[in-house]
Amino acid sequence: MGDDHGVAATGERADSRFPRRVYDVGDEPDARASLANERTFLAWIRTGLALAASGVALEALDLDVRPGLRLTAALLLVALSAVAPVLAWFRWAAVERALRLRRPLPASPLGPLVALGAAVAAVLVLVGLLTA
Amino acid sequence: MTELPPGAQAERTALAWRRTALGVAAGALVTGRLAAPAAGALAYVLVAAGAVVAVLLSWTATRRYRAARRALASSPGQDGPGVGLPTALLAGLAALTGLLAGLYVMTTG
Repeated sequence: MGDDHGVAATGERADSRFPRRVYDVGDEPDARASLANERTFLAWIRTGLALAASGVALEALDLDVRPGLRLTAALLLVALSAVAPVLAWFRWAAVERALRLRRPLPASPLGPLVALGAAVAAVLVLVGLLTA
Repeated sequence: MTELPPGAQAERTALAWRRTALGVAAGALVTGRLAAPAAGALAYVLVAAGAVVAVLLSWTATRRYRAARRALASSPGQDGPGVGLPTALLAGLAALTGLLAGLYVMTTG
């Protein structure tokens, strides 16, 4: 009604949005919840970029850290940075689906995984610094 | 009922897209700079591609702002192509950046 975009606001199917697995089920959630889900995904993307930058910086900056430990920490960080965005997207889709179905939000390995990986990398760098 | 001003939600989301665009632009610059010794002219292609993606992400920010305003203005039906595809492409790009970072770490380390 009065929609200047010509899209019928009937709430019926004809929803062409990707991915189908999300948009073929349930009903449109509160837009604020959807937007928050979107922002959380974007925050994870930026976290992933920061992890990549940290891993590269460890090797690029010629730090006085024991090389073996430094390399291990850098590899751990860049591995997380390659995995986190993919998990973040599936997490976004799973949350959006749960919102549409009015179900509790699903658990995700993303937070614990990144927290644990970053903590281990930090310990490796610390030990590498002290034993350099 | 305490209704939050809908503009704030839309604006926050657009800003999240904008700072992600900035992050991608910075990431592309660093990637190009670090790849330059090995990749030569290809490094410029990397930086240019990153700039294009950053512009596309900024455009997505504006698009999402308008879509969010419409959705929050309680026209209940959905419209527009949705956010699934841009987010998937962005996730792929970020994962690729991570793999390139891994390549760098393994070749220098």
